[in-house]
Amino acid sequence: MIFRNFVYYIKEAFGSIFRNGWMSLASVSVVTVTLLMLGSFILLNENVEFLATEIKNQVEIIARVEETLTPPEVERLRAQVIQLEKVAEVRFVSKEEALQNLKAQLGDVVAGYEEEGRNPLRDSFEIRTIVPEDIPAVAAELAALPGIAEVDYGADVVPKLFSVTNVLKWIGMAFMIGLAVTAVFLIANTIKLTVTARAKEIMIMKWVGATEWFIRWPFVFEGLLLGAAGALIPALILQRLYAEAFTWTRINLYFLPLVEPEAILGELTKLLLLLGASIGTLGSIFSIRRFLKV
Amino acid sequence: MIEFYHVNMVYPNGVVALKNITFTIERSEFVFMVGASGAGKSTLIRLLGREFLPTAGRIRVFGRDLTKMRRREVPLYRRSIGVVFQDFRLLNNRTVYENVAFAMRVLGAPSREIRKRVPEALAMVGLEKKAKRKPPELSGGEQQRVCLARAIVNQPSLIIADEPTGNLDPETSMEIVELLEAINIRGTTVIMATHDKQIVDAKKKRVIALENGQVVRDEQRGAYSSDF
Repeated sequence: MIFRNFVYYIKEAFGSIFRNGWMSLASVSVVTVTLLMLGSFILLNENVEFLATEIKNQVEIIARVEETLTPPEVERLRAQVIQLEKVAEVRFVSKEEALQNLKAQLGDVVAGYEEEGRNPLRDSFEIRTIVPEDIPAVAAELAALPGIAEVDYGADVVPKLFSVTNVLKWIGMAFMIGLAVTAVFLIANTIKLTVTARAKEIMIMKWVGATEWFIRWPFVFEGLLLGAAGALIPALILQRLYAEAFTWTRINLYFLPLVEPEAILGELTKLLLLLGASIGTLGSIFSIRRFLKV
Repeated sequence: MIEFYHVNMVYPNGVVALKNITFTIERSEFVFMVGASGAGKSTLIRLLGREFLPTAGRIRVFGRDLTKMRRREVPLYRRSIGVVFQDFRLLNNRTVYENVAFAMRVLGAPSREIRKRVPEALAMVGLEKKAKRKPPELSGGEQQRVCLARAIVNQPSLIIADEPTGNLDPETSMEIVELLEAINIRGTTVIMATHDKQIVDAKKKRVIALENGQVVRDEQRGAYSSDF
């Protein structure tokens, strides 16, 4: 009995999808476009966040050492720094090494100093913290240590970067919720058209004595199928496009880190299918409610 | 079997459709419900189908009080009624066979049962040869027969026909009424709302006449109007 009804619902749903071909195509397109935008935005958002984390992780503290310190004193200072609780890694950069780095960055401007055998730079430590958020606190601790002349960590950049990623996250969330609501509304309207087109059928069903759920199920399946079909298309497109983009970026923009396709596409596909099916189902339940009152 | 007891119906917009209606229809009766448009025939039929509830009074059908019926019991109640509409209400994109089978499918009937009873119903109305046609290819009379086949296929105890001959010529109308008579002879109660004087006068059945929402006449072997 129940299985027979189930077969009937599925048959009816497919029958209706093909009988109202254009309408079905419209519904699928609406879901496709919406989820394509939503999916692209999710990918963008994930990558911005990933990039922000990468940048945050690259932020480090540079602590310059007083010139007067002797090498054993510098070594003692280094031991002291690594003792600090929130510090993950300390690297000593001699002033000669620093000059070489500067030369690599600026070129000939620095060359004059080398010829004269002068070096205006100081020895320094490059310090990484365990979490980027601790950087300001650690910098303050370092500045208080005797023997440290100067501490530099881009004091302005770090808090700004954190607030920018936060704002981006919130804007993204608001945008995605807006898109999802729009999609439900559009699907509800499209299915309302199919339901209107079948008002006579529903009326006959009611007069013959079909139960409300019996009338509802085919529409629910129809919505679910249309929604899932509409989600499958953008899922496939995004999978393909993202993989291409990832490969291209890795070759041409190697300094720009992107999230690995394997790490994100599976979840994205699942999410899109779930969203599509829910949007379709919700839409059809909304639109059929009015017609059931006979 | 059907009992209206002091039934009043006032629509939400204030229109008084039925005033103090009381009558009883026994099992296997054939009743013409006559009256001009707006007399209250349609309201009465919609009340019988439990489309809405009366403002006051009680309606009992098959021993059940419609005013006390729960919402989820309504579909089961409707399965014991077959309805024939003036405008046929057939699905034009499905075949005659499918239109009749549809009424069984939506009740979850087994396919074996459908394959047996749909041809029987079509034979009863004389349409077994047109099973594969679609409604728009048929004449009005034939379409109304499909509607009749659909109404009887679930073997209801009561057939309600709302102006079934309203869109048909006199000869075809008579054929449809004769079909309803044939169904009635097999034990099904038939209530037919009509304003077709010729048919009512010819058939000499029980007539309940409505005027301005009230029963003005209820007589066995009656005619459309009493004044002759």
